[in-house]
Amino acid sequence: MSDHNLHHNQEEHEHHEDNFISKYIFSMDHKMIARQFLITGIIMGTLGMLMSLIFRLQLAYPDMKFPFLEGVLGHWGKDGKLDPNFYLALITIHGTIMVFYVLTAGLSGTFSNLLIPLQVGARDMASPFMNMLSYWFFFASSCVLVFSLFVDGGPASAGWTVYPPLSALPKAIPGSGTGMTLWLAAMVLFIASALLGGINYIATILNMRTTGMKMTRLPLTIWAFLVTAILGLLSFPVLLGGSLLLIFDRSFGTSFYLSEIVAEFAGGIERTGGSPILFQHLFWFLGHPEVYIILLPALGITSEVIATNARKPIFGYRAMIGSILAIGILSFIVWGHHMFITGMNPFLGSVFMLGTLIIAVPSAVKTFNYLATLWKGNLHLTPAMMFAIGLVSFFISGGLTGIYLGNAALDINLHDTYFVVAHFHLVMGSAAIFGMMSGIYHWYPKLFGRMMNETAGHIHFWLTIISAYCVFFPMHFMGLAGVPRRYYANTAYDQFNVFVDMNEFITIAAILGGAAQLIFLANFFLSIYKGKRAPQNPWKSNTLEWTAPVEHLHGNWPGEIPHVYRWAYDYSKPGADDDFIPQNVPNAGQVDPMDETEGLPVSHGVKSDAVLA
Amino acid sequence: MKILNQLSKITFVIAVLLSLTSSLLAQSAEEGKSLYTANCAACHAINEKVVGPALKDVHQRREAAWLVKWIKNSQAMVKSGDPIAVKLYADNNNALMTSFESLSDIQIKSIIAYIKAESEAPAAAPKTAGMSTTVVAADTQDWSSKVNWMLFIVAILLVLIIAVVINILTRIGQIQGKPILNWNATNSILLLAFLVIGMGAVFWEFYAHSKHTVFSAGSASEHGVEYDSMFMITLILTGVVFIITQVLLFWYGFKYKADGKRKALYYPDNHKIELLWTIIPAIVLTVLVIRGLITWDAMMNKKDEKARKIEIFAYQFGWNARYAGTDNKLGAHNFREVGVMNQLGVDTNDVNAYDDIVTNELHLEVNQPIDLHFRAKDVIHSALMPHFRVQMNVVPGLPTKFSFTPTVTTAEMRTKMGKPEFDYILLCNKICGSAHYRMKMKVVIDTKAEYQKWIKSQSVLVANKVNANAVALK
Repeated sequence: MSDHNLHHNQEEHEHHEDNFISKYIFSMDHKMIARQFLITGIIMGTLGMLMSLIFRLQLAYPDMKFPFLEGVLGHWGKDGKLDPNFYLALITIHGTIMVFYVLTAGLSGTFSNLLIPLQVGARDMASPFMNMLSYWFFFASSCVLVFSLFVDGGPASAGWTVYPPLSALPKAIPGSGTGMTLWLAAMVLFIASALLGGINYIATILNMRTTGMKMTRLPLTIWAFLVTAILGLLSFPVLLGGSLLLIFDRSFGTSFYLSEIVAEFAGGIERTGGSPILFQHLFWFLGHPEVYIILLPALGITSEVIATNARKPIFGYRAMIGSILAIGILSFIVWGHHMFITGMNPFLGSVFMLGTLIIAVPSAVKTFNYLATLWKGNLHLTPAMMFAIGLVSFFISGGLTGIYLGNAALDINLHDTYFVVAHFHLVMGSAAIFGMMSGIYHWYPKLFGRMMNETAGHIHFWLTIISAYCVFFPMHFMGLAGVPRRYYANTAYDQFNVFVDMNEFITIAAILGGAAQLIFLANFFLSIYKGKRAPQNPWKSNTLEWTAPVEHLHGNWPGEIPHVYRWAYDYSKPGADDDFIPQNVPNAGQVDPMDETEGLPVSHGVKSDAVLA
Repeated sequence: MKILNQLSKITFVIAVLLSLTSSLLAQSAEEGKSLYTANCAACHAINEKVVGPALKDVHQRREAAWLVKWIKNSQAMVKSGDPIAVKLYADNNNALMTSFESLSDIQIKSIIAYIKAESEAPAAAPKTAGMSTTVVAADTQDWSSKVNWMLFIVAILLVLIIAVVINILTRIGQIQGKPILNWNATNSILLLAFLVIGMGAVFWEFYAHSKHTVFSAGSASEHGVEYDSMFMITLILTGVVFIITQVLLFWYGFKYKADGKRKALYYPDNHKIELLWTIIPAIVLTVLVIRGLITWDAMMNKKDEKARKIEIFAYQFGWNARYAGTDNKLGAHNFREVGVMNQLGVDTNDVNAYDDIVTNELHLEVNQPIDLHFRAKDVIHSALMPHFRVQMNVVPGLPTKFSFTPTVTTAEMRTKMGKPEFDYILLCNKICGSAHYRMKMKVVIDTKAEYQKWIKSQSVLVANKVNANAVALK
């Protein structure tokens, strides 16, 4: 493996002429592509967050007028009142941006690109060109989605799940005209990007590990990225198929998803014979693995950050890999829990319920292993570590409500209420965003060669965790009172009046959370230019990326790629001088990097019992 | 056979026409009110813009003939280039207004009469009473709003002050040559504080807001009791896990902060412990799964021959209930017959349909098993009745079903909750378009006597046919 890399390196040096365009724009260097993914993701995330603030204002003050809305939204905010159709458009695009553009591309795209070659010890991705294409498909997709905000009739407004017939028939809602067409186009481009990236990640991890980097020595980040990429590769094509059929239904008069729709309502052709539920099956066949496509990289990052900053080996390395694999496999047989009450066969509901609740077991194991890693650690509470702890807290809070929703019987009354909104914003939204933030603070020195301001990072963390809990925790109670999600206002229902104060509180907390992100944005962009120069290994970490020079260069290491002699978690090992031993340091007397006698987690169980005693 | 079908279809239409015209000769505000609630209220209000514009004084703005034309088919008017129509359409962001071709001119004029009466009524006594209560409500709302914003401003100020203090401390630290503010220590204390205050807030939430949930008043249906006990079991189990894990997480964050003297314990794994915390969650979840499957099965596979059949029909943006009538057989349906005279697309060839009753409110008899059959006209809707723990999606082309037995009458629930104005509702819980958030139907649980009285006051679809059948049977 290393021979191949060495050869590759020499080749790189021969035509090493970078102009502005090949260095910053059409770059094939994985580190630059990671930065591109990250910055695009941050811009899209800011957009999605601003959208949420606008519709939160509407939910808190349904009777009030905000003249500035007319300035921002034009005719959608006439007289300072948000148009109900545009409200639905905002929640749709907010969901789409956050799920796909920020937490899939922005999170997995950034850190898979940055860390896979650096942590497995490769010069670059298996196919740098495909990697570049992956980013540019993503960029094109982002542009199409943003452009759709300005078309006649507004952007797609059928919810981010775009269930037909609402999304299939332009007569059903204005957003199902041009806006929906562009949404589908953006999605097709996005899926192309995800597949190009995913194939590359898998190929790189499986084929381009440096000498001694056995699968059982991979950092958990890489394991998480590997399973994530496999999930994406198996599930995104299904969404592509589903989207194509929807395009046919919308533009060519077919009826894959349409049944018993009169001609007048369906653009002049009577539609019958299809099934609206078919789309939901196809959508959620991606949609559920998608949850783990978002969450696994965040959990991988957290594993790495917690182990490094607790100065302790991650507890139960093999169990962690096992639970990542178990979650990955199980995620393919649980999609039906989004559809318990669509009228599908109750027996099928039972099967999906069983699978869903089983997935809680590996998730619980992961949580306990994090706790065990913290126990008797020597915690360095850096911003990255704080966000990692925050992730675990959200993962617990949001994960536990999954046990209610995964139960078909309980889902009857909770389905599509604010309880669901609270659940997935905690477990998938906040947890994954915290994982992403943790990754940004931790690997910023690797990304930009500079350090972020620590104080600003801590203030950012505390404001964000407080506001996130204040926003999402009270929502459970609205859900338990039967308040449906995606309502423009609750004013039509007397019994929801009791939540007027709560809605206002949530909105103010959301504004506070939004303001906190300004601190982050300022810190992020200013530090690129003004941050302190990063030292070689700022967090005293074991993984290979910290052996590469701070200044980026093609091929990552100036000389030979380091060999790996041990797993990634030899922190505070008894007998060692430092409290960390990087992966490229051989054990005493170890010559062959593949040698198994030392540095493997298996043998430690006995030893550590001795330590305890 | 075909001719017979054709004939029966014609008689059906004529009969419907007759039954409509007989009751609608006069254009009254009273009649208009019920038509307005059934057809207009989802998108319009009198005094404020909702989805569509406010209707106050619309009778003065537009001519009656124009309004009739617009209400029957607004798109045709826009396409024909009527200047007012074009402007109105554009002003409302090209949101389509549903065409009400099924409404007769007289019915529309009744609705206008009702709007006129409402527009001119602000000085009436009940209105002022209502307004004074809203003023009081608005006052308290204003007050809490001020408190919330004060909190927000205080939070921002606090952040600014903290930032300044931190800045000064760092400066002093730089001068003295060693940092004064130790983030490691600060964070560990903040983690503990967050745990304590956070747990307090969680308990306060339960204390303050669980009384607003549908669980506080208990279930109003038979299977709901089972549902609630399943919910409580899950709540207790997850609650215990929540407290233990969060306490450990933040406590460890506080306790094991680096102090520069200690080394972490090298402890990579322990198979016994790992096995333990794989098996325990697995056992707990097995209990939950088994209990959940039993509950789910009991709810979904309910069969009762005596159950009363009712169809819930959903459309953008409203609900209809169709009662099966005395024969307890719902007439078949055929979407191709959806049209001006037959909004629900009831199969006009099916004799079972003649005694069906279509209403805008759902009245159910207490302790009487009900089979709800769901059908949608246009897009997916979802019928949620939170007080009964009932929900089922309403999917075009895919009939769905939910069986249950209501056990608490509206009157009983009002006393129980201490809210004399309380009503059960059925609301739309699947995004279905602009007026999704107003798409609801009133649900009334009657005693047997009340129910009989109410159902008798409703008219069957084809009255003369049913009477003829009854005579023939005699």
